[in-house]
Amino acid sequence: LNAFFFWLEATALSTWVRESTSAFAFPAILSAHAIGMGLAAGVNAAIAIRLLGFAPRVPPRELHRFARVMWIGVWLNTASGLLLLIGYPTKALTNPVFYLKLSLIAVGMWLYVLMTRQILSDDGGAGSDSRPGDRRPGLSGRASMASAPAARFLGAASLACWAGAVTTGRLLAYTAHRILASW
Amino acid sequence: MVDFQIWLVRTFARATPVATMMKTAWGWPAAESVHFIGLCLLVGAIFLFDLRLIGVAKRIPIGALHRLIPWGLAGFAMTAGSGILFVLTEPDQYVYNPAFHFKMLFMVTAGLNASAFYVTSYRKATAPGAPDEAPRLAKIIAVVSLSLWIGVIVAGRLITFHRPFPCGPEGPGFLAQCLPNYYR
Repeated sequence: LNAFFFWLEATALSTWVRESTSAFAFPAILSAHAIGMGLAAGVNAAIAIRLLGFAPRVPPRELHRFARVMWIGVWLNTASGLLLLIGYPTKALTNPVFYLKLSLIAVGMWLYVLMTRQILSDDGGAGSDSRPGDRRPGLSGRASMASAPAARFLGAASLACWAGAVTTGRLLAYTAHRILASW
Repeated sequence: MVDFQIWLVRTFARATPVATMMKTAWGWPAAESVHFIGLCLLVGAIFLFDLRLIGVAKRIPIGALHRLIPWGLAGFAMTAGSGILFVLTEPDQYVYNPAFHFKMLFMVTAGLNASAFYVTSYRKATAPGAPDEAPRLAKIIAVVSLSLWIGVIVAGRLITFHRPFPCGPEGPGFLAQCLPNYYR
């Protein structure tokens, strides 16, 4: 594995990620990674918050319209994350926290699929807000699955999972015990 | 201006209990985690609301989605609270840092921009029976808001690349080359 790290770190792309002084190298990759994180975790958080019962007049299934924003974030972070990994393979792959982070993201995405199923199965919310004069708070939430304990649990699990993914991501900068194969 | 910055650094540097706490093994990483989780909440609430004003997910009433905004403010409180801890711990890293200056500029402008929304468009956009389509001015404000917050995030990430100390006088250094030696 060490030989692989040596080889990868010697490639032009890896060296560029690490050493280029261009603003489009490391700074841009990190910025993209932060924006993608905000989009992916942010949309998940919004859906989770709705499933917890907040913002009750938001028809849950309409939140699916933001799915594309979530996926833009996911792909932005896959691309920028791969570049960071190519730049510092030893640093990431020798750190157990990196695998914990990836696992939390995997669970977070699985919960995203479950949450999506939950909000799309919800038909109590979609039309009810357009009923004129009916401004009862919690209307769509009350009539729908979005207030069920299962939905609340999904929302809480998703928030916890993404908070964990973000935290472990931040900890990568502090928990690495090797930076480069040659060190 | 430089005199003011020096005064600012000296004043902030007096918050030694904060620095002591932040320089423990977990202080800085924990505050950074709070900072980034807050960022996610802020994006989740404010970006989605801005996108709704622009015209995404038009079947969600604007007033209904506005209920997410307190979560965005909670996220902002998390970023601001942890952010103040960073500045009080390493004031020279921020007060002399052009990326930090831009970040604060974008942030204050985003605040004024949001105020403009509440003064000009909030009532019109969230009144009972308001049309799905947000007023044109609200859309412009939303585009400005999205741009400014992206600017805040990018400028925030760039802070790391300008380190007068402890990376030495050679200029900007990369996170991985500077931080581990310093915080260990």
